[in-house]
This record gives sequence, structure tokens and C-alpha cells, in this order.
Amino acid sequence: MSEPEAELDFELAKQQLTEFSARGGALVSGVADVDDFAAAPEGFRPQDLLPGAKRVFVVGGSPPRAGDWVSPKHEHQETMGTSDRINSLGLKAAKFIEASFGYYALFVPPGVNKGNQPFLSVALAAELAGCASPSLAGPLLHPKHGMLYYSAIVTTCPLPIDGRAEPACPAPACLDMWEAEGTTPCMKVCPIDDGGCLGGDIVEGRFANRRYNTARCATRVHTHWVPGFQKGLEAALDEEDPEKRKMILYSSFFTRTLWSMTYASQSQAQCYECMRVCPVGAEERTLR
Amino acid sequence: MEIEASASEDTGREGLLPSAPVCEAGKKAGALIVGVAAANAFNEYVPEGHRPEDILPGAQSVVVAGNQGPTAAAWRSPDHRVMEITGYDFRENVAVHVMCDFIEREYGYNALQAPSLPTAGHHPPMSMMLAAVLAGLGTRSLAANIILHPEYGLLYYAALVTTLPLEPNHVLQKDACPSPSCVQMYEKLGTTPCLASCPKDEGGCLEGEIDEDGRISYSSYNRERCHSRSMNFGVGSVQKSLVDIVAEEDQDRRKSMIYSDFFSQSLSSLSFYKESVAQCFECMRVCPVGQNHKRLK
Repeated sequence: MSEPEAELDFELAKQQLTEFSARGGALVSGVADVDDFAAAPEGFRPQDLLPGAKRVFVVGGSPPRAGDWVSPKHEHQETMGTSDRINSLGLKAAKFIEASFGYYALFVPPGVNKGNQPFLSVALAAELAGCASPSLAGPLLHPKHGMLYYSAIVTTCPLPIDGRAEPACPAPACLDMWEAEGTTPCMKVCPIDDGGCLGGDIVEGRFANRRYNTARCATRVHTHWVPGFQKGLEAALDEEDPEKRKMILYSSFFTRTLWSMTYASQSQAQCYECMRVCPVGAEERTLR
Repeated sequence: MEIEASASEDTGREGLLPSAPVCEAGKKAGALIVGVAAANAFNEYVPEGHRPEDILPGAQSVVVAGNQGPTAAAWRSPDHRVMEITGYDFRENVAVHVMCDFIEREYGYNALQAPSLPTAGHHPPMSMMLAAVLAGLGTRSLAANIILHPEYGLLYYAALVTTLPLEPNHVLQKDACPSPSCVQMYEKLGTTPCLASCPKDEGGCLEGEIDEDGRISYSSYNRERCHSRSMNFGVGSVQKSLVDIVAEEDQDRRKSMIYSDFFSQSLSSLSFYKESVAQCFECMRVCPVGQNHKRLK
């Protein structure tokens, strides 16, 4: 008769997974309960991707380096992609869960499903796992590291849950600025009422009445990559003059869209201005 | 590194070195399995121009790394797009580069990653499938000739070619396909799980027979049909779409084609997300080989 299977120590398992992730480059990690995803529409919840799912494990890290942030050449950060490192770690963590604990673990694909919709909101997962909290500017913020990139793994393994983190935004410096000027660094750099994307208030130390122009932001943030290629292709095919068409196809814009899509792993995001002025995580971006 | 040379009667080559240090380096770098084939073992099966010696003059060995792609959970997802799009970490490729570095640094022999992407037509310069078979990592299956490892089933393979003379592995003596349960099914029903899931005579891709000894006696697969189902997105679909888009004279229709889900997903599959370029896994979904590694809690 075979020995009964030993019960997995889930606390220890989480510790091992956390250490594995940290060794792989994660700056933060956390666990969310799948039941907390009720706010997500049906079809975009963890159980829709993996029957019997119990938790979502999230790893965060691979932000632009401090040196990237201080480069005076804006094209540098526009083309230096760092986010794919966290996706590689996400798949490794999923394989680690299956190989070490014997539970199913599904790496949430970082690409999009039909209609440019993600399979599951990784931002929501990171928030529910306590890795970071929402900000006035939009990106999730970790209190120490500021903006990070995230990868999510849906699993049947009932790891201990972390729960939401305390809000990192607005930072104390932003509260002071709000009291003095009625704005914050992020809203000042990109004001929604002055051609920008961000607006809102601070009420009792918390941000409120947030306004965000998604469409405007997208046209500034995602200027290259797949949508840039589609836009360039459309313009080229609509152009009847062969010389002009040739110029479009060999233009810097079209060339950069091709680079951004392919193996060069270039950044998909080209505007970081709201994050550049954000005091959350600024210490991590300040070196000698 | 201290190296003790040995001889192998298998290939008639002298001074063969133990392969274990190289294989261990590959496994440490993330390969699930590693095997070695003698470079000249390819000569019997492939035409000139596609042999290791054609890739690297003086080639002695081919080291092959195999790895699983999607996790067991991805196979269970009811959203078929998950498997269609699931990114790979390409650890087998990483492992091959680590082993190349290891060979060049520690032994002082040349090593390069074997080219496996098509360079002319749809033909790769070197067959990773044949490399896996000759390195003793698997055998061909009834399911579109996919190489099955007896323990893990479907794996993804990468290889390196080196001038380092390593002790080769043997080609597997026992076929991974058909598995005992498939032989039983064939005896009762005249088909196997993969053949039943995609029968050539009913619009599918696969056809085959198993002899009295429980071995594949005949197999055939409709490559064009299989390709059109398993490669919906990727380079081919971008080319296909472009032909239609460029030929479309109506500006509005052209715009909808450019921004369609199909074209967007095709472009995304080319991009750096490392998305899967295979969209049909049905013959492998029902294959019993390696199923133990897909059943978790």
C-alpha cells in the first residue's frame, strides 16, 4: 500500500514561491483570492481561464532603470523595453508551482484576446494581491518602488491571501502641493483641461473624482507598436502617389513601428511624463 | 576542466568525451531533457545542405534540449485562445546557448545554435525533429509526426552543433507512439485518440494503421490542411491578410481589414510577446503519452 500523500504546507509553499520569484528578479509579489475578482466582468475572471482556480499569484518588477529615467534622450526610454522580463518570470513561476506543489498554474498571457481585450486585468490582480495600489495618474504604484510591471498566474493552489495594500497615492509631497496649488505633479504635467489626460481632486487625503482621457493617453503612449503599424499601413495604402507611399513606408515612424513590434523587444509605451514627476518610488530612481 | 576520453563502437569515432557535464549545464539552464546525437548520424536521413557538417565544418556532435511549452493548467483552460496565444519562455533555446557558451569556454571547441527557422520555402536548414529522434529523446507519432517523449509527450526542441566529440545517446529502442492504451483502442475500434480527433477521411488531417506488433505500420497526414488550422496566426496569416488588404480597392473595407481582430492578432503573434504560433492542439490534447504530467490538483 502506498504512503498517503503528505499535505502541502501552504505557508511554506508561499514562502518558497516568493523566494523563487525574488531570485528571478521580482521586486514584489502577492496572492489574491479569486473571489475578489467579482468586479471584473464574466469571461475576464480567473475561473474563466482555469476551472477550479483559487488564487492569483502576482509578481512585479523590471521597471525602467534609474539611468533610463535620467537620460536626456527621450527616444531612449521610448525604445528600451524592460517589461518582457517580468513575463518571462511569470511563466517560470507558473512552472515552479506545477513542478513543486503539484497544483495547476496558468500564466496569464500578456497579449490581448479578441477586441484588444486582455484575458484578465493584470492591474486588478496586482491590486488585489496587495502588490500596489491605484494612482491618480493611472499606473499602479508600489509605496517603495513606484511604477512596476506585473505578471499574473492563476492557480488552483490555495496559497495564503495577502489582500489589498494601503494606498501609495497621493504621496505626502503631493498633498502639500495640492494644498498650495490645487494640483499634483502628475495632473500638472498632463492637465485634462489643458490638452492633457489627467484630472481629479484630493479629498480628505485621498484622490477622488478622477478624470482620465483614455483615448488621448493611448494616442500618446502607444504611438508605435501594432496600432502604429496599422495606422502607417492604412496611410500608405490610401496614398495614391507612389513616391509619397514609398516615403511613408520608409519613414522613421513606420520603421520604428516595425522595430517596436519585432524581436527588438522595444517598449510599447512612449510617454512616461506622469510617472517621471511622481514622487512615489522617486528615491529608487535617484542614484549618483 | 579535466576530461577523460573514451571510445564508442556505435559510431566508429574515437576519443569521445562524456556528455554529462554538457547535459547538466543545459538542465541547469532550464532544459527538461538533454540528449546527444553523433553529427554523422544525420547523413543517412537528410540531403546534403541540411546536415550538421553543412552548418559547422568539422561538426562532431549535436546536443538537443527539450522543454515543455504551456503549463498543465493551460491545457485545461476552457478559453481556447489561452493555448493559442500562450507565450513560451523558450528555455530550450536559452539552454542551448548556455551549453554553447559552456562548450566554447570550458572545452575550447566550436559550438553554435542549430538553425531551425525556415530560410527557403518552408524548409529549415536543420530538422529539430530528426535531431530529437537521433539524440534518443523521442520517436515519431501518428499525430502529424510530432515527436513524443515517452515520459513527457509533446516537447519543444532546440539543438546545438559542435566540433566537440561527445558520447552520443542511442535512438530509443521502444516507440513512444502508439502507447499501450492506443493499441488497445485500435484493436477494438480501428482508430486511436489522435486519429479519431482529426480523421483524414472526415475533413481532418490524420490517417494511420497499427500492425500486429503494436507498431505504426502506416501513417499519413494532410500537411496543408493541418497547417491551415494550426497556423492561423503568425507570419503566414500576416502575408495572407496583406494580399487581401493590398488588393482591396474600397478604402473603408480596407480600413476594417487593417484594424480587424484577425489582422491585429496576426500582428500581435509576430510581436515580442512570444506568442504561440500554433493554434490547434487537438491531436495532442487527447494523446495519452505524457498525460501523467498534465494531471495535477
